[in-house]
Amino acid sequence: MKTMKVTFRVNDEKVTLQVRPYETLLETLRERLDLIGAKEACVMGACGTCTVVVNGIPLRSCLVLTPEVDGASVTTVEGLKKDEKLHPLQEAFMEKGAVQCGFCTSGMLMTAKALLDRNKRPTKKEITKTISSNICRCTGYKKIVEAVEEAAKKSI
Amino acid sequence: MENEFTTVGKRVVRSDSLAKVTGEAYYTADIKLPGMLIAKVLRSPYPHAKILHIDLKRALKVPGVKAAISGFDTYGIKWGVFRYTKDHPMLPTDKVRYIGEDVAAVAAVDEETALEALSYIRVDYEPLPAVFDPEEAMQEGAPQIHNEFANNINIHVHIDVGKVDEAMKNAFLVREDTFKAAGEAYAMMEPYAVVASHKNGFLDLWMPNAGPHVRAKALSNLLKIPLNRVRIRHINSGGAFGGRSEVSPGDLIASLLSIKAGGPVKLALSREENAISTRQVHDMIAMVKTGMKKDGTIVAKDYRVVYDGGAYSSTGPIATSVPFYVYEECYRFPNVRYNGYRVFTNKGIRGMYGCHGRAFLAGNEAQMDFMANELGMDPVEIRLKNGLTSGEITATKSKITSCGLKETIQKSSERTGFKKKWAKTQKFKGIGMGCVAMMCGFPMGFRSGSSCYVKMNDDGQVTLVTGLVDNGQGNESLAIQIASEVLGVPMEDINLINADTEVTNLDPGAYSQAATFVGANAVKVACENARRKIVSIAAQKLGVREADIVLKNRVAYSKKTPDNKMPISWVVREAFFRGDPIVATGSFFPKIDFEREWVSRPWGQMAGTFSFGTSVAEVVIDRETGKVTIPHFTAAHDCGRPINPMAVEGQMEGSIQQAGVATIMEGNLWERGFLLNPDLLEYKVPLACDMPDIETIIVSSRDPEGPFGAKEGGLTIRMNAHSAVACAVANATGTLFRELPLTPDRVLDALERKKGIKR
Repeated sequence: MKTMKVTFRVNDEKVTLQVRPYETLLETLRERLDLIGAKEACVMGACGTCTVVVNGIPLRSCLVLTPEVDGASVTTVEGLKKDEKLHPLQEAFMEKGAVQCGFCTSGMLMTAKALLDRNKRPTKKEITKTISSNICRCTGYKKIVEAVEEAAKKSI
Repeated sequence: MENEFTTVGKRVVRSDSLAKVTGEAYYTADIKLPGMLIAKVLRSPYPHAKILHIDLKRALKVPGVKAAISGFDTYGIKWGVFRYTKDHPMLPTDKVRYIGEDVAAVAAVDEETALEALSYIRVDYEPLPAVFDPEEAMQEGAPQIHNEFANNINIHVHIDVGKVDEAMKNAFLVREDTFKAAGEAYAMMEPYAVVASHKNGFLDLWMPNAGPHVRAKALSNLLKIPLNRVRIRHINSGGAFGGRSEVSPGDLIASLLSIKAGGPVKLALSREENAISTRQVHDMIAMVKTGMKKDGTIVAKDYRVVYDGGAYSSTGPIATSVPFYVYEECYRFPNVRYNGYRVFTNKGIRGMYGCHGRAFLAGNEAQMDFMANELGMDPVEIRLKNGLTSGEITATKSKITSCGLKETIQKSSERTGFKKKWAKTQKFKGIGMGCVAMMCGFPMGFRSGSSCYVKMNDDGQVTLVTGLVDNGQGNESLAIQIASEVLGVPMEDINLINADTEVTNLDPGAYSQAATFVGANAVKVACENARRKIVSIAAQKLGVREADIVLKNRVAYSKKTPDNKMPISWVVREAFFRGDPIVATGSFFPKIDFEREWVSRPWGQMAGTFSFGTSVAEVVIDRETGKVTIPHFTAAHDCGRPINPMAVEGQMEGSIQQAGVATIMEGNLWERGFLLNPDLLEYKVPLACDMPDIETIIVSSRDPEGPFGAKEGGLTIRMNAHSAVACAVANATGTLFRELPLTPDRVLDALERKKGIKR
């Protein structure tokens, strides 16, 4: 099988890889780069557990082919912490009890991060609408919405 | 009283959440071991067919394939939770009984090779007539799925208390209705995965599970490996909801492949495989007949409930019983007859579910509202009249100890203005209430109790060892919080080792709602025993009486003269000097009637205690489309005492999603043994935008035996939120529902029935 050379940034580090043309970004992150925070749960873009941020946009990494991110900048949940300090969203998810089984948490955090990066003061309605791209089976979403509101307050 | 504790009752950050927000928490599919192989499973394309021949030879020749197996590589031992339900071969050799059943498997160096090898496995089948409807399956002449079970009746639970027929005859009002409901999908976010590693005669396994000890025992039996050589290891679980309580075919497959290949094997199921081949939820039909006095007192209940059991027994006797018990633990029935039939069909295996029994539970509650209305009463009055209270005995002889049912009904109805809204319904708006009780643990033989081991380390930190399991609900954090309170050290000083069969002792697991009342109770007793030793040394060293010693923030001090103090770590070191380090064990065994059996002796004390809860849903119906929305939902739960109120609320809120909102949208769809919606695009689970505004009310009845008075933390809402929604829709439409979920077509149908239009 022919492979392709792909260069992109992951969590501010440059990586160059030879990948199969049909390899998904989720596979690349999990299998080659050992970034296991993004989870595989449906492989059809229905659930959002594999969400990562590519050039500021939250994408389902199970639906993105790695050759497509050539030259792009990818942020995964592992890249949220800065200088050993948790991101306000990570703190708020913990403090508000927005984490139960944790399987959706990485994807939920990345969707919320992309929202806060483009809209510093989202309304409750905007938060609810945005995180409706991701499924959580445990929490009923209430504490997740509260956590995003709290993080938005703290970020300002 | 509220201020007497340092951490108990506080909204503490869960101990497991840091690893989960940084992406560092490991789940089974994240495991990589040196030389690990990838497994894939070949599944049955037929709902019912004889297996004539399985040929693995060509698959084994594919380069990179290290092992291939079928049922002919097993000992042919069938699994069953009970002696009388051993009917599940896990890998069959005689015939397949549902589409998606595990038939053969391979382990190869990578996924592509494994998939290629699967395509070379040849299985010759002889298709057999199949049966998909439980009522048809019970008829004479229907295809027989198991030879041992005549008419496909897997389980018949028969309960008969008092004189039902006589009481019905003398009742002022009698009503009989039949309710149907589709089974839901567990849809836990983590698809099932298992890693097995067989080395030096020891088998190590990782998988999301609710009870590692039960799993190890099952695999020890199936593989004929001594129990101490099967070690289920701790790993995070991406949700269970009742679906990961017992051994799974994948566990046997990964183990056999690892034994054959001589290396570790990972089997990670796809979303669709997870839906069709792991446990599913029972579809059901519930006939509910109720007799009442003129004043609304229930005098008799008569039930016939048919559960579509799928191909194998699974937790059948429990599943056939639980909906009845959570109802009889809530209301007073002097005369009751229950005939629960679990029937085999050619569909996937069905197990317990956190919201199990919605046709029965919502049916009972909605029917009660209609009868109350006829008698000039409202839902609140009729529930308060018939609800059990502390000290009463249920129909099948369980004593209720602490009971906050009345308070949950009153608080939720006051908060919502229930009575007013119910009586003066605005057009196309409705309000409904559902109540239920929940056993905190049930008889599971010697696994009904739990024990814990605690040691104080030389830096004053603590190591806790317990069989307690966390499937995401926060049980690990609960154990740490309780230990922190008793030992006077912060939560971050406590290291937890749990759910690892090599080192932890027996525990019921995250099953039967026993974690708080049983598992955490054992943790508390162990820590109290360790505390006693600390206090004894501290009292000597500080020259005060033991009763005067307080342990708080890593310090032992005198209550009377707080400056007279010493670090707990010094006490621990002193204990080492004395050659008597601070270690302790503790256990808890609930007071249950162990003669009780689900089928042969369905009476006696079910559990050490019961929790109670009330849900109130407010709905709006779109008159054009029939679509229901739920703008507000209020839930009140009596958890004895909330150890971490934030975690209890989280359980209640999740229950409103999984049981409440599911009532208008969730249900598996079948066509001749095919599951039509096995993925998350076709099977819609509620999203953030589908959720109501939620209000949770925690009621604290202070259980005399629970740890710090606690009982299970939220499951009643999972078992009554569907009732609240169904009752609210009935209130809005003026008719009883016939079938769940309440999809727009069914709601329109109900509206037209009310108008007298025939469809």
